[in-house]
Amino acid sequence: MSSAIQARDKGVASFRTRLFTAMMVIIATLTAFGLYLAQRKVTADAERNLQQIFQAELSSLHKLEELRHVALADRCNALALKPRIHAALEDNALDLLYPSAKDELRDLMEGGEASSDQATPSLHAKFYRFLDGAGAVLSPPNPKDVGELDPRTEAELGLQKLPEAQQIGYIQENSDAADEIVDQVVAVPIFSTETGDVISALIVGFRPIELTGKGAGAGMKNGIWINGQLYLPLLSKSAQAALGREIAKALSNSASAQNNFTVTVNAAPHLLFYKRLNPDSLFPPAYEICVYPLASAMAQLHRIRWQIGGAGALLLLGGFVGSHLVALRFSAPVRKLALDSEENRAQRKRAEAALASTAEELRRSTRYSADASHQLKSPVTVLRAGLESLLAREGFKPEVYEELSALLHQTHRLSGVIDDLLLLSRMDAGHLELESQQVNLSQIIEEWLDDLGALPDSPDVKIEREFPAGLFVAGEKRYTSLVVQNLLENARKYNRPGGRIRVSAHSNVRDVVLTIGNTGRTIPPGENIFERFHHSSTPSAASGHGIGLNLARELARLHGGDLCLVRSENDWTEIEVRLPAANGVSTVA
Amino acid sequence: MRRLAGFNIAVALLPISVLAQATVEGRVGLPKSHSAPVVAKRYEIVTRGNVLSTQPPLAVVYLDGSFPKPSSNPTKQIAQKDLTFIPALLPVRVGTKVEFPNLDDTFHSIFSYSPAKRFDLGRYRPEERPIPAQIFDKPGLVTLRCDIHEHMRGLILVLNTPYFLMTDTNGHFRLDGLLAGHYTLKAWIDSRTTREKPVELKSGQTLHVDFP
Repeated sequence: MSSAIQARDKGVASFRTRLFTAMMVIIATLTAFGLYLAQRKVTADAERNLQQIFQAELSSLHKLEELRHVALADRCNALALKPRIHAALEDNALDLLYPSAKDELRDLMEGGEASSDQATPSLHAKFYRFLDGAGAVLSPPNPKDVGELDPRTEAELGLQKLPEAQQIGYIQENSDAADEIVDQVVAVPIFSTETGDVISALIVGFRPIELTGKGAGAGMKNGIWINGQLYLPLLSKSAQAALGREIAKALSNSASAQNNFTVTVNAAPHLLFYKRLNPDSLFPPAYEICVYPLASAMAQLHRIRWQIGGAGALLLLGGFVGSHLVALRFSAPVRKLALDSEENRAQRKRAEAALASTAEELRRSTRYSADASHQLKSPVTVLRAGLESLLAREGFKPEVYEELSALLHQTHRLSGVIDDLLLLSRMDAGHLELESQQVNLSQIIEEWLDDLGALPDSPDVKIEREFPAGLFVAGEKRYTSLVVQNLLENARKYNRPGGRIRVSAHSNVRDVVLTIGNTGRTIPPGENIFERFHHSSTPSAASGHGIGLNLARELARLHGGDLCLVRSENDWTEIEVRLPAANGVSTVA
Repeated sequence: MRRLAGFNIAVALLPISVLAQATVEGRVGLPKSHSAPVVAKRYEIVTRGNVLSTQPPLAVVYLDGSFPKPSSNPTKQIAQKDLTFIPALLPVRVGTKVEFPNLDDTFHSIFSYSPAKRFDLGRYRPEERPIPAQIFDKPGLVTLRCDIHEHMRGLILVLNTPYFLMTDTNGHFRLDGLLAGHYTLKAWIDSRTTREKPVELKSGQTLHVDFP
């Protein structure tokens, strides 16, 4: 029984485990989904914020650029009006170009007096050059006046042709390899006042515009990407080179002039923005690069991750408790079911055991009655033979003969009982087989009724016959006769003096129904008269060995018929036997 | 006596020189003028595609060769009047002194960046004396500009010959009093275009040369 409880507990536990696992899976999925959404939101927010900062930076840069452009455009218009500039350009006196423009552009350059004007330093140029009609740079006779440049940088200022509009470019100064400087250069065309043709261009170099990075927090780095090379002074050379390669890759993959992507700088994630600074320029393409550390966003993400993870864990804990309770609740009926089925099983086992023992008893009793019949039959035969021989002897007193005769009668009765028992035991064992034939039931009844009247101790009963002659049944005559005999003997035995016996029989299509009724003591309700070895609960003078009815019924059933008590009331007891009619014969005769 | 002798020499030489005279005449094909014909004999310098020419178009025809240096240098004038150079185009022989009187009521500041002659007269008023002048001692085209009035243009064509003239607006020219010999006849049309033809001049003959 304890193992059963264990099994049951195990079932409940496994149910609970499964429930818990399902809840855990759901909660884990929800948590993961939440984490995913939060991560996406945080990333998108950070990206949007930084994008706004980047755009703000760029817009301030553009404002400055516009200021520069307007100032330069004015300057160039003024230059174009200068006859000396025209003279220098048109009269093949390029050597006089720079001296002629010097006065005009004096305030453009960062001079000694410009240092006092710190408010707008970015409007002051570092250098300027003129382009000739083919777009090549005109070398200044006195570079000090126009900003010194090394020859390579100066050559880079040249354009394929003279520009029709302002062009923006970014040039790396190679003045010192250790300290790379990127300058913004603006090329402004100079139009002839007479013909409207572009006769030259003024190229002005400014200090690189410093993005302040206000609002972005510490760690924002900006730089410029020109022609495959990144200039981001806040990064180490190797980091610049690595980042430059990534940007080159991104630029080659995307045609858009601005975009952003995440990069890893110094082993920390950064968001990188780039935007083309000089779209449609004759100068090499340059991109503004801003690298924003995602540290704060990552911290926020970390915090949210913890929060969601914690919430998930709490939920999981709650789920655990809840599932425990639910499992308990759900498992209660299951446990009850298990218990019930346990009891059922035990009951069944008991019933099976009882059945087995009953069957064993039955088998034993069958064997016993068979054995007993055989063992008893021979002594009775010996006894009867002895009694008969004594009776045949002469010389005894008449009382002795009477006694002997009574004894002999008893031996007959005994052997009858033994026969009955033998028959029953054979039936119980299933060994009795009928040799079915046509049996004239009417004749058998007649014979037995005659015998009944001839019996010595027959009481004064009136016999009523209500059956046709020639009722045939299908069966074995011996046993059919035994049924009729038993019933008639009972009807006589349990009758009262002056009573009557009514024997009626009729046949329908299938059966022949024989009804035997008799007056006398009735059978109390609830008493099973067909029980083997049955003895009436009410004491009576008449008594049998308690086999007859049982035997008759068994025989009737063996024939395919039945025997039952029809009624037993008001001094009238009626028993009905149904036996199968012999086919087509019952109606004949 | 000395005077007489000089006269005699002059008389003696005259028939020879008259006899030796040769003449070139013809026509220079001038670009079509897009503006209406100018009634007054005034023209201006225009720039078209960085090329300076007169408007209406005129040409300067001159005989190129080696000639003896003149004993004295002549003096010519280009005035500034009504914010223009008058004349706008002046052909001169090498060594000629050109004066630039200011006939306006305002300052002018005449300068040239041309390789043939670079100079800068600076700002000066009409009453400036002596009249600012420059000697042009190198052949070539000199572009005159005013630093104050940027539209003003003037041209001085410095030539290595005493034989030159300006065609009329139809391009006709006639150069006479030339010496026989082999020369190159040139026609300056604009700052970038000068046509030339070799000519053989014979005394007493008039050669007809057309420039397409």
